[in-house]
Amino acid sequence: MLTNTTRCVFVPAALLKDAGRAAAVGGSCCPQARRRFGVSRCHFIKPPPRPKPRETVDIPDLETITYGERMHHVPGLAKPVFPHWEPDHKNPRFYKAPPAQQMPLFKDTPCFMFNQRTNVLEGVRQAAWLTKTKVMPSFPSQLLSRTENLEEQIPDVDERVQNAIKHARFWDTTENRPKKEKYCNTLLLNLLHLCGMLQPSHSAIGRRMFTEDYSLAVTWKRGEDLFQVRGRNGLLHSSMDPLPAVCGKDEVSDTADHTLETFYPISPTIDLQKANVYKENLNCTGFRGNSPYPHAHTLYFLESADVNCKLRPEQFRAKMAMFTFGNALSRAYQLYGTEPQQLLERPVTVQAVGTNGRIFQFLVFQLNTTDLTGDDGVKNQMWLDEDVELYDFAKVRPLIKKKEVRVPAGLSGYKPEVFRKFLALYLHGAE
Amino acid sequence: MAVSCLSRALRSLTLSQPGLISSQVVAQSKGPQMYSLVGQCRGFLTTASLEQNRINWKQRDKYSIKPMGMRKTGGRDHTGKIRVHGIGGGHKQKYRWIDFQRLRYEPDKEGKPFEEKVIEVRYDPCRSADIALVAGGNRKRWLIATENMQAGDTIKTSGVIGRMAVSANEGDAYPLGALPVGTLVNNLEIQPGKGSELIRAAGTSGVLLRKVNGTAIVQLPSKQQVQVLETCMVTVGRVSNIDHNKRIIGKAGRNRWLGIRPSSGLWQRKGGWAGRKIKPLPPMKSYINLPSISAP
Repeated sequence: MLTNTTRCVFVPAALLKDAGRAAAVGGSCCPQARRRFGVSRCHFIKPPPRPKPRETVDIPDLETITYGERMHHVPGLAKPVFPHWEPDHKNPRFYKAPPAQQMPLFKDTPCFMFNQRTNVLEGVRQAAWLTKTKVMPSFPSQLLSRTENLEEQIPDVDERVQNAIKHARFWDTTENRPKKEKYCNTLLLNLLHLCGMLQPSHSAIGRRMFTEDYSLAVTWKRGEDLFQVRGRNGLLHSSMDPLPAVCGKDEVSDTADHTLETFYPISPTIDLQKANVYKENLNCTGFRGNSPYPHAHTLYFLESADVNCKLRPEQFRAKMAMFTFGNALSRAYQLYGTEPQQLLERPVTVQAVGTNGRIFQFLVFQLNTTDLTGDDGVKNQMWLDEDVELYDFAKVRPLIKKKEVRVPAGLSGYKPEVFRKFLALYLHGAE
Repeated sequence: MAVSCLSRALRSLTLSQPGLISSQVVAQSKGPQMYSLVGQCRGFLTTASLEQNRINWKQRDKYSIKPMGMRKTGGRDHTGKIRVHGIGGGHKQKYRWIDFQRLRYEPDKEGKPFEEKVIEVRYDPCRSADIALVAGGNRKRWLIATENMQAGDTIKTSGVIGRMAVSANEGDAYPLGALPVGTLVNNLEIQPGKGSELIRAAGTSGVLLRKVNGTAIVQLPSKQQVQVLETCMVTVGRVSNIDHNKRIIGKAGRNRWLGIRPSSGLWQRKGGWAGRKIKPLPPMKSYINLPSISAP
C-alpha cells in the first residue's frame, strides 16, 4: 500500500490527465488496488467448473491452422500444440522422476517392504507368519537364573532403579514434567547405565558397543512373495561374541510340528509397502564386513521415538519382532550364505527390549532356519513377554477425587522383578 | 536531520520502482502497461500451500481409508450464490471415503466371491448411519455398517447368481437375483456396477418384493417401488444406528453444532401445503432401460 501511494506522488500531473485509469491505480480509494492488496475477502466470483475439453478429431492429410504464429488467441483457429520444453541445464529443484516402469531398478514382481513406520494390522500374529516363527508368550526362564543374587552384585539395587525412574520422570527437566519422548529415552539410558555397573564382575560386557540409527536391509522369500525389512530401529547393542542359543536342539526340532497361525480372509502382506522399484538380494547389517562388533546382542526400541508415527502396543511388538528377525537373518546370511538352509548349525539369537517409559516388552528371537519359503520344517522361535509394568504411577501432582487422594504424588507401585528381566537380557552371553 | 532522513527514505522508494525512473519513459507508455505494473504485484498475500488450494477437496486419485479434511460450502455453489438454504457453521468434520461399490474385486482376483473381516464399527460425522472398517486380502475399506455388525465378524461378497436362492447372513452382499423374495436389503444399486445409491440412511431397509424375468422389484423405505436389474448388488439386513430417529436434539444450539441454520422467521399464511394430504402411491419407478455404464 505504501509503495503505491508514494508512487502517485511522483507521477507528473500531465500523466494523470493522459491516463486517468493508470493514475487511479495509485490512489488508496480505487477498487482495483484494494482488490489486489486486500486479503480479507474474495471480490471475484469463483470460476465455474471447467468444462471438459472438446475432443479434437485428427484427420490425416489435413493441416490444422493454429494461432501459434500470431501469438495470441484467435476465435476459430485451433490451439497450437508445442513440443515439451526441455531446459538445457539441470535444476534439482525442478527434477521430475521418470515413471516407475522406466527406472533401472524396476522389477515385475513386487516386493513387500517393512520399515520402522509400518503399522501392520494383525500385529504379532502377522509378524510370526512373515518370519515363520513359533511364538511363546513367556520370558525364557533359564535366563533369569543369573539375576538371583543381584543384591550382592549391585548394593541397594531397588533404590537405584527407583532413583533412575524418578530421575527420568521428575528431575530431568526444567518444566513441570518432562515429555514422553524425553523420559522414555532417559529411563532407558539410566537402566543401561545401572546394568553397565556390573562390568567388573562380568568382563564380557566390555566387549560390546552401542549404535544408534544404523540402517538395516534384509531380503527373504516367503511363499511366493519377496519381503524386505528396511530402515532404522534405534539403539543397537552389539557385541564381539555371539549369543548362545536359548534352547537346545531337541526343542528346535520339536518346532517342526508347530502349525503357523493364519488369519484368513486377511492376507499376510496387508499394510506392507508394495514396491516394484527395489534392489534384489539386498542384505546389509548396517556395518561393514570387518566390523569388530558384528553380533547384534539386543535392540532397544522406544515407543515415542518417531513423533509422526505412533504405533499401538500390538503393532509395536510386531515391529520389534520384525527388526529382531531382520538383524538375525542378516547375520545368518553373513555366516552361512544367502542360500536357504533347513537347519542352522548354531542358531542366531538376538534380543529386543521395547518400552514406552512405563511398560516394557521383552523379546528373545532365535533364528533356527533360513529356509522360509514353505510352511513345513523347522520354525524359528520367539519368546515374547508383553506389557510388563515397571511401576504403576509416577505422578508429579497427586490424583485427588472426591477430596480423597487416590494416587499420591511421586513414584508408586514399583515392581522389582522387571529390572531383573532387563538385566537378565543384558547379561545374556556375558559369562 | 529529519529532512535528510525523509528524503533518503523517499529516494529509496523511488529507486525501487524501475518503471518510474524518468517521467518521459512513463509518458510514452500506454495505459494498459501502467496497469500491468500493479498487476505484477500480488500485494501481501500469504496463502497456505497450493496443495490445499485444490478446487475439489474430494478429488483424489487413489482410494484411502484416511480421514480427509473437508471445506465448508455454507450452501453456496461454485458461483457463490446460495444453492441450499439453512447450511452453515457447525463442528469441524472429517470425511471418510466410503466404498459404495461393494463388489469391487481386488486386482487379479476377478470374478471370485470374497470375504472380509470387520475391524472396527464407528460413528461417522458425515452420515446418519455408522460405518465399518473392513479388511480382506491386501486392502482395507470403509463400508456402511448393518444393524448387528461387530468387530471381528466376517462378511461375504459374491457376484454370482445361482439357480437356488442363497440363505444370506446379515452384512453379506449379493446380486438381487441371488436372494430369496422377501429379504430385507439395503445399499441398493440402481445400475449394476455404479455403486449403491438408495437405502443408505440409518435404520432403513428395503424389501425385495418379486423377481420378474431378469429384473427385481424392491420396496424402498418410502414405500415406493423400484424396478432394477437383478444383477444390482445389495447388502442384506438393515442399516445400523436404528435409534437415529429417537435422538433428542434438546436445544436449538445443537442443530447449529450439526451445521444446520434456523429457517427464516418470516410469517407466511398457511396454504395448501399445510395439513393432511391423501395421495395415491406413486407408480413403480423403473431403471431398466437406462444405458449400462460399461458402454462408452
